[in-house]
Amino acid sequence: MARRAGPPHMRPMAGKLEGSCRGAQLLAALPLASGCGGAQSALAPAGPAAERIAGLFWASAAFFGLVWLAVVALALYAAHRRGTPLSGRNAHRLIVLAGAVFPTVVITGYLAYGLSLIPPLVAQAPEGSLRVLVAGERWWWRVRYLPPDGPGVDLANEIRLPVGEPVEFLLESPNVIHSFWIPSLGGKVDMIPGRVNRLTLVANRTGVFRGACAEYCGASHALMNFSVVVEERAAFDRWLASQASPAREPAGPQAARGREVFLANGCGACHAVRGTAADGTVGPDLTHVGGRRGIGADVLPNDPASLVRWIERTPAVKPEVHMPAYAMLPRADLEALAAYLGGLE
Amino acid sequence: MRAELHEKNERLWVIAVSPAIWATHFVVSYATAAIWCAKVAGRDGSLSGARWAIFAYSVAALAAIALVGWNGWRAHGYRGGRIPHDADTPEDRHRLLGAATALLSGLSAIAVVYAASVIAFVRSCA
Amino acid sequence: MRPGPIDVEPLPKAPPEELRRAQEQRLMAAWETPKGLRYWSAVNNTQVGLWYSGLAFLFLLFGGVLALVMRVQLAVPGNDLLTAQQYNQFFTMHGTVMMFLFAVPIFEAFSILILPQLLGARDLPFPRLSAYGFWSFAIGGVFVCGSLFFGAAPAGGWFMYPPLTTAFQKGVGADIWLLGLSFIEVASIAAAVELIVGVLKTRPPGMRVNLIPLYAWYVLVVAVMILFAFPPLIAGDLLFELERTLHWPFFDAARGGDPLLWQHLFWIFGHPEVYIIFLPSIALMAMIVPTFAQRPLVGYGWIILSAVGTGFLSFGLWVHHMYATGLPGVSLGLFSAATEAVALPTGVQIFCFLATMLAGRVVRSVPLLFAFAGLFTFVIGGFTGVMVGLVPFDVQAHDTYFVVGHLHYVLIGGALFPVVAGLYYYWPIVRGRKLSDRLGRVAFWLMIVGFQVTFLPMHLTGLLGMPRRVFTYLPGLGFDRLNFVSSIGAFVLAAGIAVVVFDVVRPKRGEARCARNPWNAGTLEWLAEMPPDKPWGVRSIPEIDSRYPLWHQPNFLRDVDEGRFYLPDAEEGKRETLITTPVDARPVQCLRVPGNTFVAFWAAVFTGGVFIFATFHWWVATLASGVLAFVTILAWLWTGTAVVPEKPEKDVGLGLTLPLYQSGPRSVGWWALFITMIGDMTAFFSLVFGYFFYWTVHEEFPPKSATGPGVFWPALALALLAAAWLLTQLARGFNRRDRYVEYYGALVAGAVLAASGGAALVAAPLRTGLDPTAHVYPAIVWVLVVWTVAHVALGLVMQLYCAARRLAGRVSAVHDIDVANTALYWHFLAITFVTTIAVVAGFPLLA
Repeated sequence: MARRAGPPHMRPMAGKLEGSCRGAQLLAALPLASGCGGAQSALAPAGPAAERIAGLFWASAAFFGLVWLAVVALALYAAHRRGTPLSGRNAHRLIVLAGAVFPTVVITGYLAYGLSLIPPLVAQAPEGSLRVLVAGERWWWRVRYLPPDGPGVDLANEIRLPVGEPVEFLLESPNVIHSFWIPSLGGKVDMIPGRVNRLTLVANRTGVFRGACAEYCGASHALMNFSVVVEERAAFDRWLASQASPAREPAGPQAARGREVFLANGCGACHAVRGTAADGTVGPDLTHVGGRRGIGADVLPNDPASLVRWIERTPAVKPEVHMPAYAMLPRADLEALAAYLGGLE
Repeated sequence: MRAELHEKNERLWVIAVSPAIWATHFVVSYATAAIWCAKVAGRDGSLSGARWAIFAYSVAALAAIALVGWNGWRAHGYRGGRIPHDADTPEDRHRLLGAATALLSGLSAIAVVYAASVIAFVRSCA
Repeated sequence: MRPGPIDVEPLPKAPPEELRRAQEQRLMAAWETPKGLRYWSAVNNTQVGLWYSGLAFLFLLFGGVLALVMRVQLAVPGNDLLTAQQYNQFFTMHGTVMMFLFAVPIFEAFSILILPQLLGARDLPFPRLSAYGFWSFAIGGVFVCGSLFFGAAPAGGWFMYPPLTTAFQKGVGADIWLLGLSFIEVASIAAAVELIVGVLKTRPPGMRVNLIPLYAWYVLVVAVMILFAFPPLIAGDLLFELERTLHWPFFDAARGGDPLLWQHLFWIFGHPEVYIIFLPSIALMAMIVPTFAQRPLVGYGWIILSAVGTGFLSFGLWVHHMYATGLPGVSLGLFSAATEAVALPTGVQIFCFLATMLAGRVVRSVPLLFAFAGLFTFVIGGFTGVMVGLVPFDVQAHDTYFVVGHLHYVLIGGALFPVVAGLYYYWPIVRGRKLSDRLGRVAFWLMIVGFQVTFLPMHLTGLLGMPRRVFTYLPGLGFDRLNFVSSIGAFVLAAGIAVVVFDVVRPKRGEARCARNPWNAGTLEWLAEMPPDKPWGVRSIPEIDSRYPLWHQPNFLRDVDEGRFYLPDAEEGKRETLITTPVDARPVQCLRVPGNTFVAFWAAVFTGGVFIFATFHWWVATLASGVLAFVTILAWLWTGTAVVPEKPEKDVGLGLTLPLYQSGPRSVGWWALFITMIGDMTAFFSLVFGYFFYWTVHEEFPPKSATGPGVFWPALALALLAAAWLLTQLARGFNRRDRYVEYYGALVAGAVLAASGGAALVAAPLRTGLDPTAHVYPAIVWVLVVWTVAHVALGLVMQLYCAARRLAGRVSAVHDIDVANTALYWHFLAITFVTTIAVVAGFPLLA
């Protein structure tokens, strides 16, 4: 199934590059960039806000690039010319026109455009929109869906969104400052202790994208990411309903053994698996962990070998994380745990 | 040398008056908007009162800057002097300070207009 | 006493040969550079400037090596050259070292080295202050850098956001950052004092404001910026350290604090800081371009617009570092407006340089080459700055490699390249030879190509999704190749810097010394004789008639060299320079400046000890160091300031007699205190801002449960302190009228009232049960009270010092600098205690 293929960055890039990538074609000619980039790229937009910003970037880069070339040309000309120097009056005119008048005109227009984009950026989502509460932990994402009709749904490290509908994220942090960023959809907003910030995003095409923490938050800041899946409304509703349901029963003897190991070793003190005795809230909710694209906040793909590695050598994979390593468990137990958790779709 | 050009009557800090007016306008506008949104309107409330206040500050600031700038412009053209004002005379010293005052007034006016223009685009405390 | 005349002609005939030789011997005796171990007691700007520059460049190299290691780590995804913790220390130290130990100090260093020369002065007005600044910088810098070798370096980024750094990093790193840097910040305030007084009061006679070299205009603006930019950081540092050490909850949301206050205070410093770095570097270009265009700069008035305009506007940008924090859109818009506005004065000066070249006949040279490198690079950085100044674009680019690209373009383009240009340009003044043209060109190409290859891709890397401050990244996201390319570029850039280093340190004994004024420049610093072995600076202090005296004043070199201007001699064996009026530079005083002394060094050592021991919580050592620092500084003041001269005035040449002692606002010491107090007030008002900031973010502030500080104790304190202030002012009058009984009485009574007023002020939160660890309200009240009381204590010391000085005969009715300064200090103190009491006692009545 698609989810087994791993987090989006782990799979080869497929499909055409979307959106306003015209400028990137120039750069792709140089062996520098893979066009507009992958699932975490602000230049491969999947929403109107990101599209506007990407367009603004390309237009600005082109315009300012030309102005820079003109300045460079003028400077090189000034350095190399022979013959009569410019008169004092004309030199002064150059300063007035090129140094004062032209920049003022350009900057005034540029600022006006930029200011006009502020109200839609900060506006509240319409009444009745889906709301998702996200709290930044060290170093994972605590997610709680708040559908307008129905109870909240707890999960972690993965966001799914219905295409074409505005979603309001409520962002907070019980510890340090983090920042919630899905480049394909729009800008970032910080998660600051003591405040609840909000961010409204709309996706206008389906696909798999990636989000990142964008405020230095300690040792494993670089390893705090998450998958973002945008799908049709119907598929989204099915997913949310399944996330709300209690955990699946283990599907075989190894997975059953895995559940025993899980409960016997105190995993439930930190992790919740609804429908079992495990109800800890210190760490990510694992009720449906098997269905996620990555584990450990997208630091590893979601496959049995990675699960074993994560449980056995946690701090080696992700420095200073609070979860202790379970290296003392026998190999068979670790593999059973992996089977159990992998089955919690 | 004319008495009015004696260095006792020249004030070096005059060139900083218009930028100082800009700075005051900026701080007062920011404080007004921030306090209005924090204490009066709340998140998503309307900026209405604050916008009127900022408009008033802007008019006052621009008027003051215009006055200072006009004085600077006149000093710059004192008795027909031409740029550059690099002669070792009190007249040229007076003209240079006037030119600097006028230029800084122009810049400060633009900066006040830029700040004031925010209220044309943003109407709520969101 | 009226100021002396200007537009005076030099002596019509040279003094006789024998007299000139005798004069030079006396000048040499007064200004001689000490030898052996005593060399380090030098305070002359030439030595201090040299040490300062050298050390700043060493820190540049240290920071650069850190960057190279970081780039190796990031060259490939999933690299394990550095662990996460190591990398986090490296990136923090790279930014901290570059910003605090190179970029700002190099401007201070260059200014100390060349400003007196530019102004035809013999030295800066307060040489020991510069020396103190240097030693503080050296001790603090070594301390902070040393932490890396013990694995104890700070790891919170160069802007150290709480609560990560206050509540989640228990090691000593954050304290090292705070305390190690705090007294480097003090060194910057010292530099600000020197430069403002230097530019406004120590110009050569006749250098009216319209004739001042543009470098001086720029550093004057920057020095004033320092007074308003550094203190908010000092205030923030105080709150930060109180939270870390005593657990006062300024940034702890659970107890009413707010992490955003740090961001405000830091960026109110941080944004002007980058212009404090940029403007002096562009100032070097304003000196270099006219020389190689062989004509005066076009657009002098526009440069003043650029410098002053940028200086002011830069204070309105700080929230553009906080666009993602959830502040209201209207606030973000205001800061976006100012951010875009600052592009205008920034751009104008570049066109002044281009216009000057077009209106001149350009001679190519290595300094000009590096100036061009700076121009090309900085303009790109300026444009990306205009882009991130817009809120919608910034919310994508913020905290990504786009910003890393932008900041390096403006800092390396706007600061490093011009500094290297300045190095090649001014090297002859320091060493009497030019650096190598060939090596300079090699370095130029390596640096400019290396720089672009490193940093241009980062704009794309960031928009492709790579955040800042990540020790590694996963493959397949689209930034693998870009990172690799950036890492290659970093080594090319480093090679270029290595070539410059080699050019500087290689032995040049066999090479010819260069001619005097080798670049045929027009400004005063090129009076320097070759080889530059005359420690006195200028042979005589000239009368100025032009912006480019070496080009436009006939026989200028001859007149200066033959002592046909002012102060051609040092008859009393003292170091002397002229003090002039700010507008037209009429001479008003002959200032005696101090010679070699170790007192500045020891003061820096003991002050440094206070900060260093406090970092490790070794309180006894801290206290001991503090006492020693206090005693040393008192000794410095007692023996070396406000010295009563052996005669009231002296003949300075050309028929002019000037006083040797000036008091009140005519005294440079008064100016120094005034300027320092502006900085002090800014820090104080930053704390007051903190109080009102908390009021805006809380529903109820003071909170309903607050028990103090009440009105009684603050009102009592106000009365006592106001009386102390009044008595201090009266004491000055008594001294001037020689009513010494009333004088001593007023000072002693004033001191008693000051002490009791301070005690009453402390009683206010103490007796009303305000616990500063419980909630941010008591904490901020306590901070304001403690700040005020500490300043009252200093005011008390000053009162007793004044009494002692008169008793010892060092103050009299006429010689009253100390009393005038104390009276001035008490004015500022009055503003402080009135404000504190109004805020902590008065505001709760209104709210």
